[in-house]
Amino acid sequence: MAKLKKFFRYENVGMLFVLPAFLYMLAFVGYPIVHNIILSFQDVNAGNLVKGTRNFILFDNYLELFQDSVFTTSLWNTLRFTVSCLVFQFIVGFALALFFSRKFTLAKPVRGILLVPWMIPITVTALMFKLLFATDIGIINFLLRSLHLIDTNIEWLTTPGTAMFALICANVWIGIPFNMILISTGLTTIPKELYESASIDGAGKVQTFWRITLPLLKPTIESVLILGFIYTFKVYDLVYVMTSGGPVNSTHMLSTYSYKLSFEMFKYSKGSAVANVLLAILLFVGVFYIKATTEGEEE
Amino acid sequence: MKKRKLTALLTALAMTAGILSGCGAKGGESAPAGKAPAAEDAQKEAKEEGGETASAGETQEITIWYYWENEGHQATLDQLIQEYNGSQKQYAVTAKYVPFADFKKQLSIGASADELPDIAILDSPDHASYVDMGIFEDLTGKFDVSNYYEGTVNSCTVDGKLYGVPFGANCLALYYNEDMLTAANSSVPTTWDELMETAKALTTDSVSGIAFCSVQNEEGTFNFAPWLWSTGATSYDINNENGIRALTFIQSLINEGVMSKECINWTQGDVMNQFIAGNVAMMVNGPWQIPTMQSEAPDLNWKVTLIPKDAAYASVLGGENYAVVGGGNVDGALDFLTYATSEEKVKFMMNQFGYISADKTIAETQFAQDSPYYPFVEELNYAMPRGPLAEWPSVSDAISLAFNQVITGTAAPEDAAAQAQATIDGIVK
Repeated sequence: MAKLKKFFRYENVGMLFVLPAFLYMLAFVGYPIVHNIILSFQDVNAGNLVKGTRNFILFDNYLELFQDSVFTTSLWNTLRFTVSCLVFQFIVGFALALFFSRKFTLAKPVRGILLVPWMIPITVTALMFKLLFATDIGIINFLLRSLHLIDTNIEWLTTPGTAMFALICANVWIGIPFNMILISTGLTTIPKELYESASIDGAGKVQTFWRITLPLLKPTIESVLILGFIYTFKVYDLVYVMTSGGPVNSTHMLSTYSYKLSFEMFKYSKGSAVANVLLAILLFVGVFYIKATTEGEEE
Repeated sequence: MKKRKLTALLTALAMTAGILSGCGAKGGESAPAGKAPAAEDAQKEAKEEGGETASAGETQEITIWYYWENEGHQATLDQLIQEYNGSQKQYAVTAKYVPFADFKKQLSIGASADELPDIAILDSPDHASYVDMGIFEDLTGKFDVSNYYEGTVNSCTVDGKLYGVPFGANCLALYYNEDMLTAANSSVPTTWDELMETAKALTTDSVSGIAFCSVQNEEGTFNFAPWLWSTGATSYDINNENGIRALTFIQSLINEGVMSKECINWTQGDVMNQFIAGNVAMMVNGPWQIPTMQSEAPDLNWKVTLIPKDAAYASVLGGENYAVVGGGNVDGALDFLTYATSEEKVKFMMNQFGYISADKTIAETQFAQDSPYYPFVEELNYAMPRGPLAEWPSVSDAISLAFNQVITGTAAPEDAAAQAQATIDGIVK
């Protein structure tokens, strides 16, 4: 007992503070992940979920997946969806953040209002965009027709290529405020004196942006992009409500396909294998994020 | 340094864990109460010791899971349960609503976590999968289903054993807007050719001739089945003249502009809404829409008829089955089901639900000739069940992919049929 007391006296006492959170994570995060990994190496379906005769088939589920065209499409979809969303929401979010960092009347309230898309439940946003992009009754087709840009209605959500475009639009709309607010916060941390001395030295707007704003925002930008990647990569509800992975499986993401395999087709092991591919990719990005942020702190 | 790496790894794990914990957390919610398994054990012990009489003093809980989101349906089930609970003291029944989209998931999670209800009221085509999972009690000889429609009994029969009792039956039929039909000077179609002609006559700039749910899931397969089966093709044999003809017909409905491609995103409820909004002149849908249609659009002038045929009339059987979960309070579940399947209660439930009784003798006298439900009773004679097959969800997925490919124009009917057949052959050997 005395030994234990001594052990926790100095710097090791931190371990005690971390312990409750660690145990919680172990039970509610660690266990499901480990269970899911084991599940993906077995052959579990409707027939043996309860009966308990689960064969270990090692990597067969994963090998099958890479021959499954729906899986490869959903992997590719998830990647291009994430990258396209990131690019657009970052650029627009950045521009808006710069705009609202200038002091003018209503700057603050308007910036607040712009946060609304981020706060609306995603299913609501998804339903809204589903109606906006509807072929015959959608307002987007109506506007395009009124402006004489198109003659016949575009079948946004029922054609493979355009369905993905509609999804990206919806997600960018949600993502812009997230990018804007984080970058706005980053902008306030840049000391005003720097800009003042830059203007005294005769630096123009463009020069100040490239030489002061951007370099000093680097840590913020890294966080925004990596967090954005993680949030976007695991998209589920938006796709499920807007297209359910259709038309013809063309907008399935890893998350929606995993759900479909597990809970619509009772192929639990295959579904968990898809989830693990998703996990592996995010884990990689996550480690990258930790590395980037801890390095920033050391500097 | 090593420690730092470990922390980094753990944090990264934690960050990504959100994606997985989604399922886990819901699994926890589904457990009605932590003490439920213990209570069940106590009941089992009581029964083993003193038989029925020992537990007669205390009330035993029976839980039911169902997925009807319709408030009227929920209230009706509630009323049945209240009456049952009032009629005896031994059992207290409670019902829990699980959304349809989550129902399969919750039953799967419940099965692996041993947290199942005593009775499940589930969608009939999924019945065989759960029987295969081994969670349902064998009810052979415990209920008289000899008067029930054959299809409904088949949906809960596996290897000659009865694993459920049909709750009610429904099927799809063709609704038409009578005013539009009169205005276009058309007659009620009975064959595919007539249907195409009528649909063309009814189509205008703002009105589609026909619509039916074509979503790429079980709901869509349900709506495609009548067309497929009408040609003589079966769910397992599509890559032939008949199967291709069914797909080609759907393709021509789209190509002729009499049906909107949007149907691949319309649930049956959406289709009904388009119909009562006057955007669609004819629709394929089920009898459960009638109460809503009557209250939402009392002035709409519509009628129901058989789905037009190719080679023979065909429709698809839908509806729910009661199933008793093994390992739960089986005696109590049986007692409630015996009560709920009595003629008087079945009549009450069916009329409130807008369902047709699975019991032929009740169904035939359930509705008057001029009732909008009557055509559905007639259509039931042509209705066949999907499956029953443990792998039905995978077969259904292949079929729904095929008609989605055809509707979106991503594959020709011949190619879609061949691809679906290859998948189905891989499942049903």
